[in-house]
Amino acid sequence: MRTRKLAVSLLLVTLLVSLLGGCGGGGKSTEGNGQEASASAGPIKLEVSQISWGTNLPADDFIKQKLDSELGISLTQTLVGDQADYENKINVRAASNNLPDLFMVTGKPHLQKLAESGSLLDLTSYLNKMPDYTKYAGDDVLKKGIVSDKQYALPKAGQSVAYTYWIRKDWLDNLKLAPPATVDELLSAAKAFTENDPDQNGKNDTFGLTGNNFQTFDPIFGAYGVTNIYDGSQLSLKDGKVVVSLYEPKMKDALAAIKKFVDAGVVDPEVVSNKGTMAKDKAFQGKVGIINIDWAQMVKDDQVAVWKGANPKAEWIQLAPPKGPDGTQNANSINIGASGGLWAIPKRLEKEPAKLNKILELINYTATPEGGRLVQFGLQDVHHTLDGDQVTITDKGKAEGGYTWLYQFAGRQETEYLKTKFTAQAKSIEFEAGLPRIETLDGFVQSPQGYNAADAGRFIEEEMIKFVYGKNSLDKYDQFISMLESTFNYKNYVDSAVEQLNKLGYGK
Amino acid sequence: MVTSRSDNIFNAVIYVFLVLVAAAAVFPLLYVVSMSLTPYSEVVKNGGFIVIPRKISFEAYERIFGDPALGRSMLVTLIVTAVGTLVNMILTTLAAYPLSRKNLRGRTFFLLYIVFTMLFSGGLIPTYLIVQSLGMLNTLWALIVPGAIATFNVLILKSFFETLPEELFESARMDGAKEFRILWQVVIPLSMPSMMTVGLFYMVGHWNSFFSAVLYITDTNLYPLQVVIRNMLLLSQSSELQAEVTVPTAAMQMAAVIAGSLPIIAVYPFIQKHFTKGMLLGAVKG
Amino acid sequence: MEQPANLQTQTTKPQPKAPTGQLRKAWADLWKMKALYIMLIPCLIWYFIFKYLPMYGLIISFKDYNFSEGILGSPWAEPWNKHFTMFFHSPYFSQLMTNTLLISLYKLLFGMFPAIILAVMFFECRVSWLKRWVQTLSYMPHFLSWIVIYGISIAFLSETTGLINRWITEAGWNAVPFLNSTQWFRSILVSTEIWKDLGWGAIIYLAAISGIDPTLFEAAKVDGASRLRMIWHITLPGIRNVIVLLLILRIGSILDAGFEQVFVFYHTRVYEVGDIIDTWVYRTGLEQMNFSLGATVGLFKSAIGFVLVLGANKLAKKWGGSIW
Repeated sequence: MRTRKLAVSLLLVTLLVSLLGGCGGGGKSTEGNGQEASASAGPIKLEVSQISWGTNLPADDFIKQKLDSELGISLTQTLVGDQADYENKINVRAASNNLPDLFMVTGKPHLQKLAESGSLLDLTSYLNKMPDYTKYAGDDVLKKGIVSDKQYALPKAGQSVAYTYWIRKDWLDNLKLAPPATVDELLSAAKAFTENDPDQNGKNDTFGLTGNNFQTFDPIFGAYGVTNIYDGSQLSLKDGKVVVSLYEPKMKDALAAIKKFVDAGVVDPEVVSNKGTMAKDKAFQGKVGIINIDWAQMVKDDQVAVWKGANPKAEWIQLAPPKGPDGTQNANSINIGASGGLWAIPKRLEKEPAKLNKILELINYTATPEGGRLVQFGLQDVHHTLDGDQVTITDKGKAEGGYTWLYQFAGRQETEYLKTKFTAQAKSIEFEAGLPRIETLDGFVQSPQGYNAADAGRFIEEEMIKFVYGKNSLDKYDQFISMLESTFNYKNYVDSAVEQLNKLGYGK
Repeated sequence: MVTSRSDNIFNAVIYVFLVLVAAAAVFPLLYVVSMSLTPYSEVVKNGGFIVIPRKISFEAYERIFGDPALGRSMLVTLIVTAVGTLVNMILTTLAAYPLSRKNLRGRTFFLLYIVFTMLFSGGLIPTYLIVQSLGMLNTLWALIVPGAIATFNVLILKSFFETLPEELFESARMDGAKEFRILWQVVIPLSMPSMMTVGLFYMVGHWNSFFSAVLYITDTNLYPLQVVIRNMLLLSQSSELQAEVTVPTAAMQMAAVIAGSLPIIAVYPFIQKHFTKGMLLGAVKG
Repeated sequence: MEQPANLQTQTTKPQPKAPTGQLRKAWADLWKMKALYIMLIPCLIWYFIFKYLPMYGLIISFKDYNFSEGILGSPWAEPWNKHFTMFFHSPYFSQLMTNTLLISLYKLLFGMFPAIILAVMFFECRVSWLKRWVQTLSYMPHFLSWIVIYGISIAFLSETTGLINRWITEAGWNAVPFLNSTQWFRSILVSTEIWKDLGWGAIIYLAAISGIDPTLFEAAKVDGASRLRMIWHITLPGIRNVIVLLLILRIGSILDAGFEQVFVFYHTRVYEVGDIIDTWVYRTGLEQMNFSLGATVGLFKSAIGFVLVLGANKLAKKWGGSIW
């Protein structure tokens, strides 16, 4: 017994010494700025940091190897799992003046804060060193990285355009209904799904409509030409002017229409509290027949396996967004001011031109056709084959390519990319990408002093729920607005937002 | 031994109560285990709920343990937990023992000195700067030293030490024992249940901690288990990536939860043994 | 090494005024207990480096934080109480305080007593396999994260798909919106917390009970005391100082109602009863990357907590079992 204990503790001590010792040395080189490297002739060391959402780089990282040899660099990525942790990490590194050479900022407020602190390099004058990137991204994308007229961040190109209503085709068939095309038809289909036992199991255990929170109703808002009430979808362009969803006269009609769904009892009673995959699970379980969701969660192979496996008769199809009384139709709005990612470079690199140039070169390279194919589809003839412009992904590419997005510094042409990666789902992808949508501008706007977006957002959400669930009459809508303006400073926000947008060239 | 009627009733109440507690714990846990063993389509077929899996599949576990990061991170966690707990226990005992002596001059001041830090803290950034200036960034020391003492545990241990009868110290001192010897030969052996408890708290703390690793460690080879497990669960929370990557199934998530906590759960029965009465018996009488 | 030495002399500062005899006695006391002070030194140094040196970070509450200037270099907030007023003037301030206090108090009341009762039951249980199994089982939920527990809650309690609601509807009643309504929300928070930490919380009391001098029980038995009487007169008084200690510490953190749990469980429909200080700070800070706000609210909570700890300790002194 005693000898075994001794052996175990000896083993532990040896391991400990080797681990603690070995890694202490290694640590310095990654955390340090690698000044020595830029002086020597060897490859230039670059550290990139971003949120990985749990994606790991493989041991055999073929993209890194190719980029390293192509550009004469030694690239390391510091990945942090989720946004809150990542922000903390970047913030302490900013405080210790030890920011990575290229790193992702998590949003406009983060960018603004870092830029105001003087931590970031103004990239305006360096843009001409990245001709491929600037062309690839285009002016509208570049705009997303501007703070106080200066280019403090390089936004990733491309934006995912997805989401629409999906409906159980087999339920429609069982009830001899046609796919609904208008809001009224959607309501009657949802009613039939709730009341007429669409799955023919003899039990009254189904609902019409679900989704995550108010997003469920996005296309109904869209049928009235307004956007959902949530943060990030309140400002849009109409006839060349910036309009605010809550001030639109049609808003009340949209809410009244949604109220009809709720009153009819066809909406999943937990719609407001659905989080994560709850709504999807209900759809897959056959509890609900219409859901606002995107193709990836519905028809990717692993997802189909789940709902087909659970119920072989199930068949989900996409619906075009329902038409409103005047024929307007819109699927979920898209926030064109939000970016899939904003890259920033620390100010200190101003004094390390060799390194800086390599970073610009790296970003630019991923925007060239050749570099773009590498970071999107992997190595040519190994992970994909090229026939003219047509990229086909090989089986090896499918198996090993799950992490390549971590190297897509310049972004990508979203729809084309997805269609190439998911050939079997190309039709669904194209369908959702081609639907009419309202473009919202909230992503370009920074909250003015004295406006607490979180408080106002909470108030709006709560009041909307009261309207829709009949706890408050829609006649009181004007009182709601005046309360929002007086207590929550909303007017102040709107004025500032319109001014900011005009300055960027929207609505003027 | 003769048992009276009231004694029997008393025992029955206890057994019923304990069985109820066990049942309340076991069903949800069974659900977690079943989820980890069942293909998701089966769960969905059953309306999202499964207690006893009909089709068992170990695929989730195979995939989780197939990840080379898991074994490595388990080793890191074992080392940090072992060394960390040792450091914790040494420092905590050394602090708790003097503070438990009511006649120590300046005791109130020392206690205030440590309790104050339970409530007020300078925040993330200054602490990070200190860890950095000590050269601990990206070493396992950063996971051990900044958390070397938990005030809560010092206070717990101190209050346990306070309950030891005063005669013990007097007789030991009469024998001419020095304080270090009293601590080592009298106090610690007599306080095994409390030492074990505090040790368990520290151990579990090390086992479950991930934030200091996220903050102080950049080298993925040094990530502890919980960071790796969290990463497995995170993917499913990012809606933007739904298209990009294959999201881990619910089975995998539950399997990760089980794999991440089973080793530390297994420690408890060994500690339990010490929670029996009679620890003081020999000492006082002898 | 220098620092603790200073601290020690500080504690003996009243010396100069005292007559020499007393001074000598104080010094003699110190000298007699030098071993105890030596033991304390590593702890004092550690607290100084890792707790007190970073304390300057507290002033961030009065500054407009700037990354490159650092905490000390950042400009002072204008006006100085800017971040405080942002919190105090939120239209939701009083609601946040009420929710936080209520949730926290419920958790304190309904979390502590069951744990004590469970520990006593473990101690009294004569069937050792039952005791062992229940101990280990009840300790396990502590290791599940709130996200997983939320998943379990949905599986059991969801209005549409939860197991319990399926039973309820099959029995012909209406489904109960456990997770989805203001009436149930706090009860759910409290009961899931109890579920998670009951066995875990009992450990500390059990350890305390194990430390009670067994001769006391034997003597009582000889006197023919019933087991309930022994619990009341020996077991509970024997762990009184641990109970008081935990109570004081819990009171000090009364404004922490459990961010992680609430954040996972809450949604727009229950903000009214579930939005707490920390979730508000999270939402507001996230929106604006406002560092000082989080620190400011933290300072507010600390200050209140500190006053409460001092007060509670004073009260506890009267009954015995105070921290100092």
